[in-house]
Amino acid sequence: MKGLLRLYPRSWRKRYGAELEDLVDQTPGGVGVALDLVIGAAVAYRDVIAGNRILAAAGACLHGMCVAVLVQAIGFVTLILVAQRSEDPTNLGFGPFDFATVIRTSYFRLGEVQNQATLVPAIYTSWLPEAALLLTLALWLAVLLAAPRLLRRLR
Amino acid sequence: MRRITAAVSLVLLLLVAAAVAEAGLLGLLVLFTSVLRLYLVIEIAGHYLQMSSLDVSSFLQVGIRNAGTIGSFLLTLACGLGAAAYRYRRWRPVA
Repeated sequence: MKGLLRLYPRSWRKRYGAELEDLVDQTPGGVGVALDLVIGAAVAYRDVIAGNRILAAAGACLHGMCVAVLVQAIGFVTLILVAQRSEDPTNLGFGPFDFATVIRTSYFRLGEVQNQATLVPAIYTSWLPEAALLLTLALWLAVLLAAPRLLRRLR
Repeated sequence: MRRITAAVSLVLLLLVAAAVAEAGLLGLLVLFTSVLRLYLVIEIAGHYLQMSSLDVSSFLQVGIRNAGTIGSFLLTLACGLGAAAYRYRRWRPVA
């Protein structure tokens, strides 16, 4: 259990480490105490980061990049979903810039799975996998956006 | 001299953070390629990275062009920088 104290920031341990060690010695231990210590370490790090302007900006930078990555992943899946419904090639571009292209192939009518020509595309053109992925990504994005507020609420 | 070193370190750190974020995005794209059974081609400065399932033929061919790759990197970098600048300007000492 005492090993969990190493999760706390060094400055915090120097100030309160001995007191907390005594407190941990007096408690019977268990999953609840371990969870308390882990959450306490997260709160201690949050306080250290929030108290330093540079660290706070660095944390916000990482958060912003994570949000950007998730938004791009959502955009990618949405593009696939849209392109799946379109007979023509789907282009994603802005002005002279061409970012991405999605083309539907007619391989199934020519290849070795000729007999399943009507069945296989029906499976592949199902929008359910894309919708499930979109929902999962949207949930992750919501959690990521709410994370700073949730961390601020922790005491 | 110290300021220049700090500025160069900051730029390098930002680039590394953006590169790691882009690697995470690439990992997600690999996962999507597998789940959605796509044939994915990513163009990176004249080189091509191709991904597809070996056992299944792809119904959709997705090509991400150079502009898309560079745009994605710049967007990630811009979002990080924007969030950092916003927090830096609005930062107040904890009471």
